[in-house]
Amino acid sequence: MKTHNEEMKVSLLALAVRCALMATIALPLSAYAADDADALTKPSSSVDFGVLYSSQDSARFGQYNGLNKKGFYGLGGFDVRGGDGYDRDKNSALRWKLNGSDLGTTSRNMGASIGEQGKWKFGIGYDELRHNITDTFQTPYREDTGGNNFTLPANFGGTNGGVIPASRGLTPTQLSAFHTEKEYSTRRNGSVGATFSFTDSLSAQIDYNHLEQSGAKLIGTGSQAGINLLGGSTGRAEAVAMIMNPTSSSTDNINAALNWVGDKAHLTAGYYGSLFHDDYNSLNWQTQQTTAASNCVGINCYVNNSMSTAPSNSFHQANLSGGYDFSSTTKLVGGFSYGYNKQNDNYAPTLIPQISRNTPNPYNMMQANGLPTTSLNGVVETTHGDIKLTNKSIKDLNLSAGFKFDERDNRTDSNTYKYMQIANVAYTGVNTPYSNRKLQYEAAADYRLAKGQNLNLTYLHESLKRWCSSVVGGAECVSSPASEEDKISLTYRLKLIESVNFNAGYTYADRRADTTNFLANAGNYAVVTPVSGSAFNAGNYQGFVAYPYASRSQNVGKAGVNWQVTQKLDLALNGRYSYDDYDAQLGVQNGQSAAVNVDATYNYTDDGSVSAYWSWQNGQRNLTSGAVNNGVAAFTPSQIIAPKNIWSNKLDDNSQAFGLLAKQGGLLGGKLELIGDLSYSLDTTTYATDVPYLTTCATPASLTCGVVSPIKNELISLKLTGNYKIVENGKLSLSYMYQKLNSNDYFYNSQQFGYTPNRVMPNGLQDQDYTVNVVALSYNHKF
Amino acid sequence: MKLLVRIIIMLCGLMVTSAYAENAPQTEAKNTAKPATAATLDRDSTCTTCHDENESKPILSIYQTAHGNKADSRTPSCQSCHGDSAKHLSNKSAAPDVIFGTKSVGSHAPSEAKDQNKACLTCHDKDAKRTHWEASVHQTADVACTSCHETHTAHDKVRDKKTQPDVCFACHKDQRTQINKFSHHPIGEGKVACSDCHNPHGSAGPKLLNKNTVTETCYTCHADKRGPFLWEHQPVTEDCTNCHTPHGSNITPLLKSRAPFMCQECHDGPHQSKAPAAGNVEGTQGGLTSVPNESFAGRACMNCHSMVHGSNHPAGALLQR
Repeated sequence: MKTHNEEMKVSLLALAVRCALMATIALPLSAYAADDADALTKPSSSVDFGVLYSSQDSARFGQYNGLNKKGFYGLGGFDVRGGDGYDRDKNSALRWKLNGSDLGTTSRNMGASIGEQGKWKFGIGYDELRHNITDTFQTPYREDTGGNNFTLPANFGGTNGGVIPASRGLTPTQLSAFHTEKEYSTRRNGSVGATFSFTDSLSAQIDYNHLEQSGAKLIGTGSQAGINLLGGSTGRAEAVAMIMNPTSSSTDNINAALNWVGDKAHLTAGYYGSLFHDDYNSLNWQTQQTTAASNCVGINCYVNNSMSTAPSNSFHQANLSGGYDFSSTTKLVGGFSYGYNKQNDNYAPTLIPQISRNTPNPYNMMQANGLPTTSLNGVVETTHGDIKLTNKSIKDLNLSAGFKFDERDNRTDSNTYKYMQIANVAYTGVNTPYSNRKLQYEAAADYRLAKGQNLNLTYLHESLKRWCSSVVGGAECVSSPASEEDKISLTYRLKLIESVNFNAGYTYADRRADTTNFLANAGNYAVVTPVSGSAFNAGNYQGFVAYPYASRSQNVGKAGVNWQVTQKLDLALNGRYSYDDYDAQLGVQNGQSAAVNVDATYNYTDDGSVSAYWSWQNGQRNLTSGAVNNGVAAFTPSQIIAPKNIWSNKLDDNSQAFGLLAKQGGLLGGKLELIGDLSYSLDTTTYATDVPYLTTCATPASLTCGVVSPIKNELISLKLTGNYKIVENGKLSLSYMYQKLNSNDYFYNSQQFGYTPNRVMPNGLQDQDYTVNVVALSYNHKF
Repeated sequence: MKLLVRIIIMLCGLMVTSAYAENAPQTEAKNTAKPATAATLDRDSTCTTCHDENESKPILSIYQTAHGNKADSRTPSCQSCHGDSAKHLSNKSAAPDVIFGTKSVGSHAPSEAKDQNKACLTCHDKDAKRTHWEASVHQTADVACTSCHETHTAHDKVRDKKTQPDVCFACHKDQRTQINKFSHHPIGEGKVACSDCHNPHGSAGPKLLNKNTVTETCYTCHADKRGPFLWEHQPVTEDCTNCHTPHGSNITPLLKSRAPFMCQECHDGPHQSKAPAAGNVEGTQGGLTSVPNESFAGRACMNCHSMVHGSNHPAGALLQR
């Protein structure tokens, strides 16, 4: 990719010269724009080109903007419009457009469209985005980014996972095998679309886009136990290595619709198709960890492992939506959708060939007769229906009533799969295809109390059902088979005076979840025995409820005021607060969030303005959980946890942001414009754990209680831009950007050489701090 | 890459030729009779006689927009939207019937949102994208079309992916902060727009989402998460926002919380989910004197249970393969 960039830079520089020469020729010809009225009514086209310099290699800075490498980049963009439809003297509605931006980076995009307004339109587009994730990942594996077969060097040797330090003490030979791989994922999206109007009331449109994705994203992997290696040891279970999971896939999306519009009604019938194809169905890798000391050398030291990737799948959906006006004050709208989602990708191999003389060879992940099918033949049908009636027949009162229906009906067969866990222990699993149905009833009234004063009252009832069809063993598989929720919202809006708008709102919601029938080892089990430890409450301690499925009361309040102090000065203040309270003995107890935003804009002249904002956000979550064995007795999930064995954890998420934007135009006789943009943000996430029953929890050997160092990200950005009009239609832009990220995240601690958990392969991932200076010079020519 | 360069060169060439092309027919047109479409401009002249190129706001640039394409029989005149404004025509200091915008200009206050919107909905109320406008959250909050759209300028910010977020952030200020967090969709970078997920004109989905459900909306781009998988993870099948916060997070990738703490919000029993964690997640550098545990350090649970969106492996019930 680097080579490509270099080519692009050179090519764009050459291109810039060519474009400049062409523009020089074109300049006199575009003089017609001198007429002021024409300048306003005729389309303004432009082309810009230039050069940019970035001072530092940083995948984080270049995460989405393509500026991940230190060096020069070409800048290029164009926006060219034309067609007789812009000509007042011609009886034509034909207009066309060509546009492109960021052509010199991996964030480039281009498009073109042409159409006769009211009759037809055709367009194409291309959009590229490289997501640069990290450039500090180190790995001993031999495989290019995007591949799916990761092997270790023959001389890497084994690691004795039976003793400490195992992966913390790699040999010099092993350390020398590590090399840096850039982790990135690239999306290339091509699109084509067309609309056609058959008559004033009947039209059709179709859009198609093809998304190609390449590159890789890191994924955790746990190795297989039970494979005997030459030299007398066996492969270590759950030896962890980060692998570059390939993102080698494509998605085709098709949208087609037929629209009919009548005097009192309109109707749209549409089709949406989405076809996802993954180039791989498995990810394969080797691990070197053994359960004990081994004299194994060479490739026989390794265990071959395999896991699945995202399966190819398809989704087809028929949509119908429309509305009917009973009168000018009473309207009915609604829609219906039916979707068919199928996935029948061949399962990843379950017979894993091991290296010669390793046994068993091949290793069979499945038990005898444990594989009931070779692919899932999974089918999910989604159904949606909605209808809404609105009425404005009573003066100052707007009424609405609506109903929505959404169902995910997973019709996939349930089967028993008998296999070997990665710990090489026999396991029996039953797949539980999840289905759910949501019904919503809503009624709302908006009443105008007086001019500029409105009150809105909304009531919503939601009924939710969850189930699994025909599960082997007939078990209840889902958390919370049903819930009912009532929500009422009251909003008040007031235009205090012409220049002051105030609004305030309050919402109360009450969700009542049925957890009484929740006896399942949710997800994956063969036999449900309600009283057995492993099958009770999804394997959780009694009284524990996962927060998405717990009964909950919710209070939300918000208020805001906008004040146009003068024609030049605007002020705004708004805030919100929410509090969720969960009815669960164990699990998330409550959560709250709050935010305050302050904005000010001062347009001190027609050419000059200053705007500033400050934002503060906070989120908290309190969790209580049943303890692991307290040294007294081994608890089983079917037991009620005594209060003395309960620990708690608090999440505190804080965010502050400040921004200042200043613009001053009209300088040097209207030729110079200056723009300054300063922003600062500080985000911290902190966890605090309290373990009252364990006095030794804070000892350095344990550290299972106390406060965790904050995950902290501090970003400061300053951008200064000067635009100088050097000729009537030509503008030179010089910009400078300084951006600095201070990132502090404990996540990376355990990834370092010599500091990993015993079974984890180090990868040297680093905090992604950067300090980048960017200078850009570009020329924009309008014609 | 060479093809790309050639295309760009061709586009530059097109730029040059278009400059010639724009010039030539215009000269020719001056020598021909006035086409029928020009006649429809006469009605506008009622207004443009005074509201010309000298206005502080670029009134005439509406002719660069779809609303100024006079050969389209549906194209409105000034008075189609602003009303006949008889009083204004006879007395320039009187306000026209409909004044668009959100701020007072001079002595004239903007018309009420419902009156502004009525003018727009005369033509735009019957299409699939605006089917659910009535009683939608924006409609009931008195959001006017012109709160977001600029109809007189060639560049309507809200219809440009790169500038659209700034328009939305004028009201949605929490999201303005969130999109700059450490983990975010490329919204500020101009590669994803609010309207890629939301339909501000109203929708049948939650939170004005384009699709009927949260998951359907996310699968538009993340079709690899759609499955159905052999081994499903219940909260994943219901709502991606059970774990993710799409506008931005301090924790990659767009997570509400960090494992193992996040996993413990739903699991308290299996494996290490019942064990409290604190400074041990920081490992040796955080002061831990024992060897860190892979269930808590780094990716924690997801060191092994990495197929959290679902696994399609016959031996992957525990989302490890």
